Amino acid sequence: MRARRPLVTLIDDTRKMNLRILLPAAIVAALSLVALAARADQLADIRSRGEMVIGVLGTDEPNSFIDPKTRELVGYEVDIASAIARQIGVKPVFKQLAVAARIPELQQGRVDLLAASLTHTREREAQVDFSLTIFVTGQKVLVKKESGITSVAQLAGRKVLTVKGGTQDPNIRKAVPGVNVVTFENAQQAFLALQQGKGVAYVNDEVSLIDDFAKLGAANAGYRILPENISIEPLALGLRKNEPGLKAAVDGTLRDLERSGEADKLFLKWFGPSTRLKFEKRDFKFDRDRIDG
Amino acid sequence: MFDLSLVLSGRYQELLLAGLLLSLELAAAALACALPLALVVALLRLAPVRPLRWAGSAFVESIRNVPLLAHMLFWYFGAPEMLPAALKQRLYEGNVEALSALIALTLYTAAFMAEDIRSGIRAIPPVQFEAGRSLGLGYLATMRLVILPQALRITVPPLISQTLNLWKNTSIATVIGVGELMYQAAQVESASFRSFEPFAFATASYLTVSLLITAVAAWYQRRYPVRTT
Repeated sequence: MRARRPLVTLIDDTRKMNLRILLPAAIVAALSLVALAARADQLADIRSRGEMVIGVLGTDEPNSFIDPKTRELVGYEVDIASAIARQIGVKPVFKQLAVAARIPELQQGRVDLLAASLTHTREREAQVDFSLTIFVTGQKVLVKKESGITSVAQLAGRKVLTVKGGTQDPNIRKAVPGVNVVTFENAQQAFLALQQGKGVAYVNDEVSLIDDFAKLGAANAGYRILPENISIEPLALGLRKNEPGLKAAVDGTLRDLERSGEADKLFLKWFGPSTRLKFEKRDFKFDRDRIDG
Repeated sequence: MFDLSLVLSGRYQELLLAGLLLSLELAAAALACALPLALVVALLRLAPVRPLRWAGSAFVESIRNVPLLAHMLFWYFGAPEMLPAALKQRLYEGNVEALSALIALTLYTAAFMAEDIRSGIRAIPPVQFEAGRSLGLGYLATMRLVILPQALRITVPPLISQTLNLWKNTSIATVIGVGELMYQAAQVESASFRSFEPFAFATASYLTVSLLITAVAAWYQRRYPVRTT
């Protein structure tokens, strides 16, 4: 045994030394990750690059989703963002993001614009700038009829499923104190968990909820959308803070879409009577970037 | 720019601590289940009967060659759906998220640990086994009394590595809605719009617990060194 001692001490020393070297290195690496590079005007950047990177969800029909037939990314927000890129004169490049990753990706400059079912909220105004409101939807709750739940208040103490990192989770907690919320990476997983009976309710923006409800087909007889809105969600495009050039270009395009009647057409294409959502009329316009309350 | 007090007090700290606790519970429970299972699988792989060896290999190869993320999603979204309706309903009323994560972590960890234990057993000279048998001990008795006490000591360092992996792998459970540390860090991130602080807390927690496990391992090795034969 005695002969082994030096070896053990040697191993011990290398371990200590590794820690002494590795720990500062790890800290430096971590800090440089969050350090933001200084940049010039973003609109000029986009023009010189010749492309605009647009963050979308790709899992939220009809805002942005993969068309099962063509395997292409399509949707209301995809059309709007493409119109903006066309106006600026660059190629749109879409990047799929998780709900929780939207604002960090924008802030760290990996996307130029968010068209990702992003709710305009007071809290988020401190983090990002918003375009004109492009859609207004309520947030609602879908339950299985067999649960016997007919109002949002009955969800207290029950397991409710939704997507991680959106406004759904805080909104339902605010509406129903004591609710047990379980969140998933995307809304479709939460919806699947509801279908499997792993929770009693599923929370999402009304448009997405109606679409999911319609997708159930005949099985939707066993489901019910609760009548109350747990909140009203003005959706907007997200921009990095203090980019007046880009904001003017984005809002300008939205106003043009409104003036030319293109905005109405887009609404009918994705939400109108010929779609699963069957909305009769559009009760908002692309005309304001302020929110109430 | 960084405000660590955000995660060192108040509601956010409560969330993160609850997450840390659940991560620890998940790791401890999975370790407690995985170790005996790994031992059984290792013995199956070395069994004198061919079908048993096949069963052991099938377990190890089918599990360790599939990513843990896929295991998690399978045990949460897939496997429970095959159960009869009444049982399924009872299961879903409880914390099915944590249970699914526990099963996935246990099987995944056991597959790797089984291989480490098997190499430990194979490192014991065959004469030890023959000596046991010639004393009149049966296969299992030889294993239990002669081989395993020596083999398990050799196996401790790789098993510690697997325990560290298990500890960090608990973070994958976030995808099936288990409120462990990474899940809570993400919750705090979306509530506070601060990314650095909650994940710094999570990183420091993973690092601290990992170093503690390593320290216990070092102590154990000194206290119970491998017997030289």
